[in-house]
Amino acid sequence: MRVSLRLGPERHRKVRSLLLRPLSFQRIRGERPRALWHPRRTILILISQEPATIYLDWASTTPPDRDALIEATEIAVAFPGNPSSPHAPGLQAKEKLEEARQGVRRRLCPVGSGNRLVFTGSGSEADAIPLLALVRKASKDGTRPHILVTAIEHAAIHEQLPVLKRLGIEATLVKPGADGRVDPAAFEAALRPETEAVFAMAVNNETGAVQPVAEIAKAVADRAARIGKRRPRVHVDAVQALGKLPFAPAALGIDSAAFSGHKFRGPHGVGALWLGRDIEPLVLGGGQEGGVRPGTESLQAVWAFRICLDRALDRFEVRLAAARSLERRLVEGLLDMGAMPLPLGRGPDDPRYSPYIISAAFPGLSGEVFVRALSAGCREAPEGVAVSTGSACSHNSRDKGRRVLEAMGLDKGLAFSSIRISTGDLTTAGDIETFLAAARAMHRALRA
Amino acid sequence: MEQPALYLVKVGEILLKLGNRRDFENRLKTDIRKRLSGMPHQVEYQPGRFFVQVAADRAGEAEEILSRTPGINGWARALRTEKTFVEIERAALAIAGAANVGATTFKVESRRSDKSFPLGSYELSKELGHSILEANPGLRVDLHEPGFTINVEIRDRAFIYGNPTRGVRGLPVGTQGRGLLLLSGGIDSPVAGYMMAKRGLDLEAMYFHAWPYTSKEAHDKVKDLARVLSGYTGGITLWTVPFTDIQMALKKGAREDLTTLMMRAAMMEIAHAFAARRRDTCIVTGESLGQVASQTAQNLRFTQFPTDLPVFRPLIGMDKEETIAIARAIGSFDISVRPFEDCCVIFSPKHPLLKADLERERASYEALGLGRLIEEAMAGIEKFEVPFSERIPSGR
Repeated sequence: MRVSLRLGPERHRKVRSLLLRPLSFQRIRGERPRALWHPRRTILILISQEPATIYLDWASTTPPDRDALIEATEIAVAFPGNPSSPHAPGLQAKEKLEEARQGVRRRLCPVGSGNRLVFTGSGSEADAIPLLALVRKASKDGTRPHILVTAIEHAAIHEQLPVLKRLGIEATLVKPGADGRVDPAAFEAALRPETEAVFAMAVNNETGAVQPVAEIAKAVADRAARIGKRRPRVHVDAVQALGKLPFAPAALGIDSAAFSGHKFRGPHGVGALWLGRDIEPLVLGGGQEGGVRPGTESLQAVWAFRICLDRALDRFEVRLAAARSLERRLVEGLLDMGAMPLPLGRGPDDPRYSPYIISAAFPGLSGEVFVRALSAGCREAPEGVAVSTGSACSHNSRDKGRRVLEAMGLDKGLAFSSIRISTGDLTTAGDIETFLAAARAMHRALRA
Repeated sequence: MEQPALYLVKVGEILLKLGNRRDFENRLKTDIRKRLSGMPHQVEYQPGRFFVQVAADRAGEAEEILSRTPGINGWARALRTEKTFVEIERAALAIAGAANVGATTFKVESRRSDKSFPLGSYELSKELGHSILEANPGLRVDLHEPGFTINVEIRDRAFIYGNPTRGVRGLPVGTQGRGLLLLSGGIDSPVAGYMMAKRGLDLEAMYFHAWPYTSKEAHDKVKDLARVLSGYTGGITLWTVPFTDIQMALKKGAREDLTTLMMRAAMMEIAHAFAARRRDTCIVTGESLGQVASQTAQNLRFTQFPTDLPVFRPLIGMDKEETIAIARAIGSFDISVRPFEDCCVIFSPKHPLLKADLERERASYEALGLGRLIEEAMAGIEKFEVPFSERIPSGR
C-alpha cells in the first residue's frame, strides 16, 4: 500500500520524526520516502514538504544561515566561560569574543583606527544607546538639548522621541523631499546653537531611499563651526545598509552607526553599534562592552553576526549585481501592470535607492488587504507570496509605513494602497515572475 | 468527604406570569440541568425556587453557570446541617464570617416548616444573632436595612444561607422563541444579543465576512464573541455569510453615498430569507439611534425594508457608555476592541446619505439586481457551532 502525503512545515517535521526506517536505496522526487511498519503489512508513506511561501520581505527579516548559526553555536559550546571572569575558561571566552569583534571591525574600519565596536541585542538597542545617552548628558549638564531627526526614521528612534520630549530633549523632524531623501541643506537650516545630536538613517526601510549621510554630517559640522559651536554628534541607523550597500562608517564623518544581525541572515537577538567617538550610556551594569552595553556577552550571537557579515561581504559585488537585476525586472513588471513604484518617478538602477527594497502603490486596493490575499495564495502562486505593508487598515495600529510615505508628501490614497517588496540572497528571478503574475491577477480581481 | 456545594436559586420574573409559570419553571429547570450536564448535579424544584447541588470541587464553575442563566434572579451558597442548634450556629457563623467583608449590619431571618423544632423562628433568630455578635464584635443588628441577612430554614434538615448573588434575571432562554442576531465584531451587537437572551430569546448569530477585505482575525474575533454569548444562551450557532462579491458589486454599482445603506439592506435581505427558512421569529441588531450615519430613523426605515419580521434593537435608546458598561460586565468588551475591522474602509463612503427616501432608494436597491449574488451568498453560508461547553466565561 502506498500513501502520499503533502504536509506543511510543522506537520512535516513531526510526522517525519515519527516514521522509522528511511529506505536508503530509493529517492522519489528528491526526498527519501519513509516506511511505516505495521504488524500485518508494510505501508510506504511518501512525505514531502509543501513548498514554502515565496518570501519577499527580506527587509523585515531574513532566513537564517543554518551553517553559520551552527558554527557559532559550536563555538559557544566550546568556549563556555563568562568573558568577564578572570579564570582560564573566562579568559579563553574573552579572547574568542574579541576575535569576533576584530573580525567585524576589520570589515567596517581601516586597520588600527581607534573606533569601537560594541555588540548589542538588536539594531533597535544600538539606536537606543545614543538616544538615551542624551538623557544622561542632559541631566548632568542641566541643559535642555536639541536634536535633529529625520521624519522617516525607524520606530526604534521615532517612538522614543515623545519620551525624550517629556525629559526635556526637544527634537526637530526634518522631512524628506518627494524623492524620499532628506536634504543636507534642511539640516543646516534647522541647526541651532543648542543642537547636540543628529539622527539620520542610511537607507530607509520602507522606500529603500539612500540618505546622504556623509553630506549631512559635513553640512552640520560646517554650520556648527561657522556659528562657533561644537559639532553635534551624528548617529546613523545603518540597519538596511550593512551587507547590502557600501557602508564604511569611518569615512562618513559620523560618530556612531547601528546594525542588526538578522538583516543579513544572522540570528535575531544580535546587533552592533559602531562608535567613532566615546559615549556615556544611560544604562549601566556589569561594565561589559567597554561599559557601553551591560550584560554578559553571547559568543553564539556575536560569532553568528561575524560569520554572516563575512559571508555577506565576501560576495558583495555579486549579490549587489543580482539584486539590481531583480530590481530591474520588478520595476518593469510593476509599471507594466499599472502599479506605481514609490516614490513616483523611481526607475530601475536608480542609485538613490537600494535595489533590495521597493515600495509600490496599487491604486484601488488597500495595502493590508493585498498582503493578506497574496499571502493566502492564488492560481498563479498557490504557495502564497509574503510581502509587507506599513499601512494597516486598523485605526489602532501604528501606521509606520504610512508615516514615512506621507512625510514624503505622498498622496494619502497612494500611501494607503502601498506594499513593500524586498529581496535577498535566495530570491530568484522565478520568485519575481511568480509575484508579478500573482499581483497582476489579484489586483485585477480585488480592485474596488 | 467534603460536603457537596448546595445552592438556593431564586427565580424571579417568571413568577409574575402565573398562567405560564409551571411551563417557564420547567423550562428553566431543563436549562439549568442542561448547563450543568458537564458535572454530576441535582436539581430540586420548589415553588418559586430551586435547590441545586454539585460536588464541592465544581462549585466555581457551577456558580459561573448560575450567574449567567437567564431566568435566575439570584443564587446563594447554602449550608445544610442536622437540626441541632450547635450545627446551625456553626453554619451561621461560617456564613456570617464570609459575608462580613464590608458590611457592618446584619439580621437573621428564620423560617421553619418543621414545627417540632424546639426553638421558634423568632427565638432561633435571636440566639443566632447573639452568637454572631459575639464572634464579630464590629457588627450591629439592623432589622430594617441590614448589610447582609442570614437566612435559616428548618425543613427536613436545616438550611442556612446568606445574601444571594445577583443573577442575570429575565426569562428562561427559549421561552420567547428563537431570533437571528446580526453579529459583528463591534461593541454593540454582542450586547444586543445578551439583552435579548436575557428576555428569553434563544439566539443564532449571523456574521457577514468579506475576505480578503476582512481578515481571518476579524472572523476569529466574532467566533470569540459567539463563545461569550454561548455562556448566556446555553449554546449558539454562528452562520458566516461570504459577502465579498456583494460588497464589490455595491462598490461598483451603487452611488457612493449609498453604499453602506445598500450593504445593510442586502444583509437584511439575506437575514430575512435565512430567518424565514430557519423559522426564527425576529431579527436582532445592535443599532442605536443616531450613533452612525446609517442609523438615523429614515435610514433604519430603509435598511429594514427587505424584512417584515420584527427587528429588535435593544440598544436603540442607549448611549455608548451604557453599552460599554454592559459589554465589560458580560466579557465582550475586550474582545470587541481587538483591532480587526469587519468592514474595510474602502467600502465606507466619505459623505454618507443621512436621510434615505424609502421609495426612491428602494428602487435604487432593486435596480442593482443583486438577486443572483444574494443566492450565491446564501448557498455559501458556513456553520460554526459553539456548544455551551465551549463558552468563554466572562471576566466578572
